[in-house]
Amino acid sequence: MLQAQIIRSITFRRALAVTGAFAVFVIALFGFIYWQTDQYLIARSDRMIARQLNVIAALPGERRLDAIDEHLRQDSRGVQYAGLFAADGRRITGNLEQFPPGLQMNDSVQSLSVVRTLQTGRETHAIRAVARRMANGDALAIGREVDETREISHVVGQALALGLLPAFCLCLVAGAWLSMRAQERVEDVNQHVQRIIAGDLRERLPHRDVDDPFSRLAAIVNGMLDEMETMIHALAGVGNDIAHDLRTPLTRARLALERGRTNATTMEQLQVVADKAVANIDQSLTIITALLRLAAIENSRRSAAFGNVPLHELLREVCDIYEPIAENKNIHLRVEVGHRLNVRGDRDLLLEAVANLVDNAIKFTPEGGKVDIELLLGDSEAIVRVSDTGPGISEQEREAVLRRFYRSDKIRSTPGVGLGLNLVAAIVKLHGFRLVIHSGQGGRLEIICPDEQCEGRGLGSPMSA
Amino acid sequence: MTKLLLIEDDSETAEEITAELADRGFEIEWSDNGIEGLDKARSSRPDAMIVDRLLPGMDGLTVIEALRKDQVRTPVLVLSALGAVDDRVRGLRMGGDDYLTKPFAIVELVARVEALLRRPAESRDTTLRVGPLELDLIERTAKRGDRVIDLLPREFRLLEYMMQRSDQLLTRAMLLEEVWNYKFVPATNLVDVHMGRLRHKVDGPEEVPMIHNVRGAGFILRTGP
Repeated sequence: MLQAQIIRSITFRRALAVTGAFAVFVIALFGFIYWQTDQYLIARSDRMIARQLNVIAALPGERRLDAIDEHLRQDSRGVQYAGLFAADGRRITGNLEQFPPGLQMNDSVQSLSVVRTLQTGRETHAIRAVARRMANGDALAIGREVDETREISHVVGQALALGLLPAFCLCLVAGAWLSMRAQERVEDVNQHVQRIIAGDLRERLPHRDVDDPFSRLAAIVNGMLDEMETMIHALAGVGNDIAHDLRTPLTRARLALERGRTNATTMEQLQVVADKAVANIDQSLTIITALLRLAAIENSRRSAAFGNVPLHELLREVCDIYEPIAENKNIHLRVEVGHRLNVRGDRDLLLEAVANLVDNAIKFTPEGGKVDIELLLGDSEAIVRVSDTGPGISEQEREAVLRRFYRSDKIRSTPGVGLGLNLVAAIVKLHGFRLVIHSGQGGRLEIICPDEQCEGRGLGSPMSA
Repeated sequence: MTKLLLIEDDSETAEEITAELADRGFEIEWSDNGIEGLDKARSSRPDAMIVDRLLPGMDGLTVIEALRKDQVRTPVLVLSALGAVDDRVRGLRMGGDDYLTKPFAIVELVARVEALLRRPAESRDTTLRVGPLELDLIERTAKRGDRVIDLLPREFRLLEYMMQRSDQLLTRAMLLEEVWNYKFVPATNLVDVHMGRLRHKVDGPEEVPMIHNVRGAGFILRTGP
């Protein structure tokens, strides 16, 4: 029921209330104007008749009659009243039939009503009049119709009515229209939301770049939907990734077992088959664990486990651990930590991230090369840099390396699943840091820790190992 | 014979574990739910326990908690499909002594059970002696017989760990966790490389090898041939 909805809607009610208040105010205003106008007109009229009285009273006796007649003759509209009465009440001249009863002869203007007899019959008029007793005993009365002023006031009143009513209606219509529009927008949003609920995550609320509350709200909700879509895809992606990359090792395991079952004749052969199967199953499990961990970190609340991590010590530890491996490949592994730096984070995860970078660096660097681990302090951030003298990452590869299971051809023969950098990226993101992958000759990856995440930096004696 | 109690609700897994441990000469008792398991733990007093975390009746961690409240100090190895670090920490905090996530290699299980049973006693000695090897824990020096072994700090730590658990199988996972405090498994064979270095220094060309690689399982420091 659109009407009922409109009337019930808050927008409409508000519009109604505003209209009502407006109407009350306008009526009050106009009423005031009416009253003031009335007063003014009456006051002006009073002044006129008082002045007239003075003028006529100031004239010598005989002239008074002429003046009164002249005065009345000039009254084309018939609103003036004048009368000169003898002391005994007898009318001398003027259009007042008798001296108005109740009219005080005290020079103050009063309201009263008089009766006039015209061709059309007897009429009663309300007038304002003033009277004075002359020196010779005559009574002089000057008056003026009030109806006239009333009429003018009436005009004002009518203008008010004529203006107010349409304004009132306009307000109601505007209120109804605004309410309808609001309803429409809400309904529109509802349609979109229903589609999102039904599963279409790509839907977004429409909004124009106008600065109205609805648009702003839509923009906010869209931002939220973007986040949610990313998260849901990430979680769904885990399932996809797992399914996709598990097929290979599991298929291998199965094939080996099947063949072995049919063809193996000796214990040794079966053991070979079993070894193959176990190796492939282990590979699958590694993938599953890694992916689940990745998902857990990417969508994680693990920041609850955050503590104070001395980054400088951590880097030295990683260098220590990988030193023999570097040595095996004749690679010079060096750590340069010139400063002490503590960060808020998860020690285990950060260790894993840096270890991954160093592991990669060593893997990619040919014999006789160099791998450097450095802790640098920038303007408002700290940088953990792992660089090597290997072939580096090309511009095109930069995007690709962060894809799941991507393994560069250069290291295809080495063990690994291709999730290392994903893990590093996820850990870095969890900590609020940034991962920067430089392209070009020589690998260079940096973890950038903005100062807000660091807890304390100090200068220690530069050490390198 | 060493008595072990296994509390595990999956019968197939339990069968495999029981069979393997029995082969190694252990006496195994099995329960498939938490309440009965707790009873058996109290009544039969095993030397060590293997407890699955997710059990019907009473979950594994609660069983351990109950035992600890009763001042029962039996070493417990917790098995679990829950592998996140937080789960591990919780398992250990509730009274477990070691934590193994499923799936695991049976070799790993056995190695850890043996490690639990032969936990190195708290020793005030400042010198560790295993066969001809001698470690001065204060000076941080090492000798084999009369030959001084020049060890890097991490190599010393590794040798110390192995000497404290001589004649026990030490898996790569155990070494990573205990010696390097790694909660994750690196892709590269870190442990092997480090162990290779250590072996080179400890087992001289004419000497009887003490550090052995157990194929597919881990490493062991043997006192005798």
